[in-house]
Amino acid sequence: MAVFWGCCILTNQYAYEMSLRHVLPMFDIELVDLPEAICCGDPIKSVNNFSASYLAARALSLANSTGLEDLLVPCNRCHFTLSETKKTIQNNTKIGQKILGLLKEEGLEYNANIKMWHTIDLLHDYVGLKRIKKAVSKPLKGLKVASHVGCQIIRYTDLRRVDDAENPKKLDELINALGAEAIDYPEKLDCCGAALLRSHPDSALSLAGSKLKAVQNLPADGMVVSCPECQLMFDAKQKDAGATVGAKLNVPVVYYTQLLGLALGIDEKKLGLDLNQSPVDQLQAKICA
Amino acid sequence: MTRIGVYVCHCGLNIAGVVDVEKVAEYAKTLSDVVVSKHYTYMCSEPGQRMIQEDIRNKKLDRIVIATCSPRMHEETFRRAVAEGGLNPYLTEIVNLREQVSWAHTHEPEKATEKAKALVRMGVARSRLLEPLEKRRVSVEKSVLVVGGGIAGIQASLDLANAGFPVYLVEKAPSIGGRMAQLDKTFPTLDCSACILTPKMVDVVKHPNITMLTNAEVTDVKGFVGNYEVTILKKPRYVDEKKCVGCEVCAQVCPVKVPDRFNENLTQKRAISIYSTHAVPNIATINSEYCLRLKYEKGVCGKCQEACEAEAIDFEEQPKTIHVKVGGVVLAVGSEVFNALQMAELGYGRFKNVISNIEFERISDASGPTGGKILSPKNGKTPKTIVFIQCVGSRDKRFHEYCCRVGCMVTLKQAILAREKIHENVKIYVCYIDMRAFGKGYDEFYGRARDMDVDFVAGLPSEIHESTDGSLYFDVFDKGTNKLLQIRTDLVVLGTGLVPNKDLADISALLHASRSADGFLLEAHPKLRPLESAAAGVFLAGACQGPKDIPDTVAQASGAAAKALDLLSHGEIEIEPLKAIVDEDLCSGCRICASICPFLAIEMKTDIIEGKEGARAEVVEAMCQGCGLCSSACPTGAIKIQQYSSKQVMIQVDAALAESCAEGGK
Amino acid sequence: MQPWLSPVLKEENDVGLSDLMSMAKPNIEARDKILARISGKELVNCFQCIKCTSGCTALKLLELKPHEIIKLVNLGFVDELPSSDIIWTCVTCLKCVQRCPQKASPYHVIIALRNLAVEKEAKVPERYLKAVSQILETGQVDTYQKIVTRKMETVDRESLKLPKICAPKESFQVVFMKAMEEKTV
Repeated sequence: MAVFWGCCILTNQYAYEMSLRHVLPMFDIELVDLPEAICCGDPIKSVNNFSASYLAARALSLANSTGLEDLLVPCNRCHFTLSETKKTIQNNTKIGQKILGLLKEEGLEYNANIKMWHTIDLLHDYVGLKRIKKAVSKPLKGLKVASHVGCQIIRYTDLRRVDDAENPKKLDELINALGAEAIDYPEKLDCCGAALLRSHPDSALSLAGSKLKAVQNLPADGMVVSCPECQLMFDAKQKDAGATVGAKLNVPVVYYTQLLGLALGIDEKKLGLDLNQSPVDQLQAKICA
Repeated sequence: MTRIGVYVCHCGLNIAGVVDVEKVAEYAKTLSDVVVSKHYTYMCSEPGQRMIQEDIRNKKLDRIVIATCSPRMHEETFRRAVAEGGLNPYLTEIVNLREQVSWAHTHEPEKATEKAKALVRMGVARSRLLEPLEKRRVSVEKSVLVVGGGIAGIQASLDLANAGFPVYLVEKAPSIGGRMAQLDKTFPTLDCSACILTPKMVDVVKHPNITMLTNAEVTDVKGFVGNYEVTILKKPRYVDEKKCVGCEVCAQVCPVKVPDRFNENLTQKRAISIYSTHAVPNIATINSEYCLRLKYEKGVCGKCQEACEAEAIDFEEQPKTIHVKVGGVVLAVGSEVFNALQMAELGYGRFKNVISNIEFERISDASGPTGGKILSPKNGKTPKTIVFIQCVGSRDKRFHEYCCRVGCMVTLKQAILAREKIHENVKIYVCYIDMRAFGKGYDEFYGRARDMDVDFVAGLPSEIHESTDGSLYFDVFDKGTNKLLQIRTDLVVLGTGLVPNKDLADISALLHASRSADGFLLEAHPKLRPLESAAAGVFLAGACQGPKDIPDTVAQASGAAAKALDLLSHGEIEIEPLKAIVDEDLCSGCRICASICPFLAIEMKTDIIEGKEGARAEVVEAMCQGCGLCSSACPTGAIKIQQYSSKQVMIQVDAALAESCAEGGK
Repeated sequence: MQPWLSPVLKEENDVGLSDLMSMAKPNIEARDKILARISGKELVNCFQCIKCTSGCTALKLLELKPHEIIKLVNLGFVDELPSSDIIWTCVTCLKCVQRCPQKASPYHVIIALRNLAVEKEAKVPERYLKAVSQILETGQVDTYQKIVTRKMETVDRESLKLPKICAPKESFQVVFMKAMEEKTV
């Protein structure tokens, strides 16, 4: 199926890309890149919402040009932006016409029927828990994990998201399918703060830090995310977040696909585990024990 | 030679504010056969009606055209006025200049006036072809079916029975009493609910005119207003109602535990038990879904039968089907409480100390699971803080858009009860959007709560969390102080609203009683006819028509009973003649009409026609609603609606096109 | 839109609202502009239940009160908002959109106010304007970075053997600039 990476994954969150590229072939899914690397439009929504929609529609049109019916969008924000644009074009004829007109100027064709997936529902619904369980060769027994599913793939319900907004279970079930145990905690649905990182960095880091602090107090061996922005905040910025909230943070943070890869017996280097800035060695040690 | 009188109503400024009524009246004078053409401020008023009556007499009019508001408003009024003037009431034609002209074209007065003229022209043309018709009389059964044994059904039954009418009161549960029996106290008087309800329940069971059928459901309704044939299924209790003395020894020996519905599943009962405290009838019932003997083979368990000294247990009991004939039906099936599992962010279902208001009511009730002590479900201790959260599932486009009407008063009552039982040892907070205390004594009740140190936070929380010690906490922004508050509490009571009963879909189908967009039963008119459904002979009482408190329920129930008495007390009713009729000579017996009639008002009768046996369509007048479907489907034109024949309709079309302002018209 | 709110009158003895602190009057035109941007979102249905603010991620740290922003726009006090700092504090967690019982959407209103701020050339955090020029130049909002691993190695896409995906062709820049000229959504 086609895959739209967005910007964050392609330019700095390489581990997500690496782990996806190694894990999905185990389930007979071949990823086909789009002909161009383009932004989904999310960062410029605040400047010009129309042109952000246009960028999203352009991404969907590039996906259409591959001729494939399914499109994987691993980033939460990209997934939300593309979903909203799909709906806008579907509902609003004036805007829709304008966007389609702009696309035509480059000879691009928009296709409303492309099926969009996120990593979580791709694995939970398309591949299925049964198949994943079967494929696990190194069950992560005894591992306790706190899941962070993020915001923009569960909200808002009217847009038909990847999981339930108040009781998202899919990522937890995916974790349990690996033999590990996903634990519940009150801060589960709290936001990582990534959207404020470049304009209000202290507040953004404070939000990430508070959540990490809460996770640290749980009987959890680590935290699992599925969005490159969330990973950036919790993993790459963990030290800064800790400094902002005045806590020593020591939480291993990995992508679900990295954890999945370990359970499937894939080599840690291929999963980009070196690139994680948080103390994932602790996590790996627990797994191997 | 027809002599037509045309009357153009101003309807105050409703019509005259847009349409030039004088011009319309002047124009009508130019139409042939129009002998009188007048305009007046309020045609439906006494002087207006008198004007028509005098003209009928003095000017010998034989057709009346009234250009006024919608016929749904005053057609009956005008027909009666015309009849009193000595003319057949069905020779009246209403032309709608309000809903169809002045209200629709408020910003185009000139065009509106032209349209008004055209509509009057059409009305006049049609009036020439109107035929004098007579209402028919049908005899009716002077008895009533009341569906639902809550306070609404109980009140309606007593009123009807006291008036001398036999009443069949059917209740789904093993006991009557409904929601009110579950309440501890009632607002705003804080009367003990059971104390004011049980005397009425006993009156019901003792009343010679009331046949009370509990553990029963209405499964079929046939017939028409005044002549309903109802099928009631009495489900087996497996306990002989005549022998059981209500000692409940059976419950003591029964080994099977089942969820206790009356206590909102806060406790468990035994598979054989009496439904509730103060149950009427005070007879045990076996829950067949759980009873071992009923689910598995013979010989299993049977402990209750051994223990019963009255020998009342009968595992062989079969469901009974009862057929009754009644003249009218009062629907009083009540409502349900919103299931807060749908709002997962509030923690209901996940956190034991988040409960609904009906669960709190059971806890507060002396006959409930805690003997009336306010105790947190998680640890069984008295809470030190209680928070009430309003509008759960109500005023919410995600669930139910309406306001549940009782939520605020219920919370105030429960807050006051908590204060009275726990005294100063509890902090009580109410998180609300608006405080709706609209009834008699209600705002005073709100004041009483404030006087008792119930604190009101003007804002709702977004989500609720549970900390490791089992206490609950959440953030809430208060409009009054402009502060973000965090509240830590032992108990959260959700103000869950009243929602339509799941059974309403089936009931509304059985009786053709439609429902409104919010899911409750639809009244014929919210202001002019609030006690009945649009389906003739079906009356509405209580929360099934819309969420309401006990005072309004009882008032509506008595009103519905009065309406039923009004309908049936003469022993016969009049049927409107605007129904389908069959020209037997044209009917070919093809049955198309019978198959498409949505009111099942057409029957095929076999007859000897020209020596051969054939079928002919026959209209059951009392059920026919005059919708016209049969008329348009009939291939031979044999069946048509009185006063709406093709000729009578087409002449209006011709009149409409007779004059045209469009270019190239005529 | 709402005929009962009269347009701003120019005479001395005006009827209607005014804010006694700032002497501002409702600007219905500006409010309708915003309503047009978010057509389909029933902004005016807010009945101030305050749920959005109670659950707002940005409230504690940055004092963002979504209910207040909605009410200000609702009453027409729009002029003060695009130049304020507060509209840039939203974290876009979408909790307010998810939980509003009236399907009002503070998030969408804030985005529309931000767009308005850009049009009026009010103060806009740098990163957003930088994003536009970055996308225009390369099609993406970030540049390819080198990452230092925990093992102190420096890697990039090439060293990790990740495939190169082309930048958009030139035609993109032209059309993107056209899109940027649109003022309404």
